[in-house]
Amino acid sequence: MQEPLNQLENTYFTLQGQIDMLSAACQTQDQRNTLSTQYVQARANYWACVNKAFHDDDPQVASLTSQIAAANTALTGDVAQMGDIIKVLADITNVVTIGTQLAAKVIGA
Amino acid sequence: MQELRHCGLRRRASVASSMVALALLLLAGCKTSDDAAAAATQLTATANSLTSYYTALDSLLSETDQLYEVQGAINPITPYDARTRALVADTKKEIELREKLASALTTLAQEYAKLSGSTAAASAESDAGNLETALAGLNQTRVSMSAGNVNLMKDAVDDIVKSIQERKEREASVAIDKFTTALDNWFKEEEPYYNSIGANYASLTQALAHTLVSKGQVDASSFLNVALSPYGLTAQLSDPALKASIDNVLAAQIDQKATALATAQASASASMEKALAEMASRIHLVAKDKPMAIRTAPVTLADVENWISLVPQIAGTASPAAGSASSSSKSK
Repeated sequence: MQEPLNQLENTYFTLQGQIDMLSAACQTQDQRNTLSTQYVQARANYWACVNKAFHDDDPQVASLTSQIAAANTALTGDVAQMGDIIKVLADITNVVTIGTQLAAKVIGA
Repeated sequence: MQELRHCGLRRRASVASSMVALALLLLAGCKTSDDAAAAATQLTATANSLTSYYTALDSLLSETDQLYEVQGAINPITPYDARTRALVADTKKEIELREKLASALTTLAQEYAKLSGSTAAASAESDAGNLETALAGLNQTRVSMSAGNVNLMKDAVDDIVKSIQERKEREASVAIDKFTTALDNWFKEEEPYYNSIGANYASLTQALAHTLVSKGQVDASSFLNVALSPYGLTAQLSDPALKASIDNVLAAQIDQKATALATAQASASASMEKALAEMASRIHLVAKDKPMAIRTAPVTLADVENWISLVPQIAGTASPAAGSASSSSKSK
């Protein structure tokens, strides 16, 4: 699989697998709204790139792919530890924002 | 310069149509009709399995559409938004187009088989023309494909057309050989995307099953049936500690089953690709007028068929309920 889609899949599958735990950790409606918005966006980013292609040698694609890989690593650590929900939501927002920028680079987007 | 990995199915339709014509020409000129007949039978079986493989993937996408509806109903944090709905529907359409293409290739292979003893080139070209007309309906989508494969397929088409016009059997054989190799590469290139669709189906069902178990909304009776059914008894769980213990077992089974679902689909994809590669290598032998020792369908097709046979059970394909993505495709 192309690495960009692989990373978008990682983000989405991680959130999907942990959505119950993340929902339970939210303490305010604003936090739940943030989680909902980011989950829906992560899922859309994934589907926007299934069976689509990226320009192999686009430096921006390469840069965003590196960034999202690092952000996914942070996200995996967050959900494993489930510490401060504010930090977790900030990291989720960060990885999904990068994912949205990456998905916008898919050919035909 | 950036490598553009994008082209239209129009080109594939044209390639497939030309493959029809070439296959017929190849048969008409084949010196070893037994081998050609065997190759035709194997091509039919392989193309038919490819069609069924795409049909099964299509079923998983229909189920995915419905699963998102369920997910949205269970957890308001995960609404099934219009954009995702449209993207799932779009992916489903793409798979359906591949299904149609594979189906057209099956028809081609059947014609190939029928003509394997024929020496009437004119008749073969006429049949090829009819099939080309049938394949024309495929000109409607975009696909992702490497520029290398695009060029290979394009070259094959050019060679096919030229060979037919000049009635050069040797060149035609080389061209169909090139085409079948490109067909295998095409599948190989898209295989990870197909596996991602299967992995998402497994991941989504796994998440939903866990949610329902953790919320105490799953009846564990069927799990206990193995102990009670010999006596005609039905479970009536009321002890919270016992229920919690069983829920832990159910959760482990869900994880195990989800892994098995994703693995089975990925295994079927790998087997399908191996079958396409095997088919290409056998056609290569026929094209080179070399003896084709193996006369049975590619052995890995059995693995593909096994997974396909399981999909109606794992995906509940017979369910009358239909989500928006599946509904939208009914007019195809």
